[in-house]
Amino acid sequence: MDLATIEKAVAFIGALVVFTFAVIGLRGEWKKTGLDDNVTKVLLALMAFGCFLVVLAVFGVLPRGGGA
Amino acid sequence: MAVSVAEHGHDVGHGAHDEIIYQETRDMRLMGFVLFLFSDVVLFSSYIFAYIYLRNSIPSWPPIVDGHQLPRLDTAFAAFNSVVLFGSGVTMHWALEHWKHGNRGRFDLFMWLTIVLGLGFLGGQSYEYAHAQIGGWSGNTFGASFFTLTGMHGLHVFLGVCFLFVLWLQTKKNVYDQHHFFGLTAGTLYWHFVDVIWVVLFFLFYLW
Repeated sequence: MDLATIEKAVAFIGALVVFTFAVIGLRGEWKKTGLDDNVTKVLLALMAFGCFLVVLAVFGVLPRGGGA
Repeated sequence: MAVSVAEHGHDVGHGAHDEIIYQETRDMRLMGFVLFLFSDVVLFSSYIFAYIYLRNSIPSWPPIVDGHQLPRLDTAFAAFNSVVLFGSGVTMHWALEHWKHGNRGRFDLFMWLTIVLGLGFLGGQSYEYAHAQIGGWSGNTFGASFFTLTGMHGLHVFLGVCFLFVLWLQTKKNVYDQHHFFGLTAGTLYWHFVDVIWVVLFFLFYLW
């Protein structure tokens, strides 16, 4: 198993874990209405989106044409 | 950032009058901090749009230098390093949640996890700088854009790590309590912001 495969495997598992905890955190913030709570909601959602991008990168969906 | 941290010596109010003043100043400080984050968004946006313009003004990307097309950046390593940074965002969120619930032991654990993961990300970034085959800072538009934007982001991460360490020291000196912790809120927002900027940079440099 080469280094890139190990990196992708760790990144995939890490992305799933981080995504799960980001969503749990988002659910906890959902009913709060303060400015800091609302900003946190947006930022947590974008972080979860970042995990989604990582999964796309791991499976080679992005970048188009394949990465290095 | 430094101002909001410095003001935290007065965070723990005493009596009803102090509590009212605390709540009023907290809202103003929070708005000020969010505006500070917006100003940073503007700063990053200007560089990001410059990168997009440069990229679209060249027929092939990565650009051709001395007759050879530069290779793409290492996506696998970047994905791994991104997860390290995103993970630190989650641990920071849970550190704040444990502080709100009065669980200082777990707060310490998650705060230190955040700091270590932040340093890990910086280490990964340094490794990538040493091994990236895209020329130097001034060699071509790709290298210039990459090192400028990720370097600026790395500086923010470094400052964030220092910010979090100072916040942790303040918790040890009882600057905050379970109901008065604006500094920790600001630190968490800043760290999430740094994470989200990396989501954009990760897409632009590695996935686009």
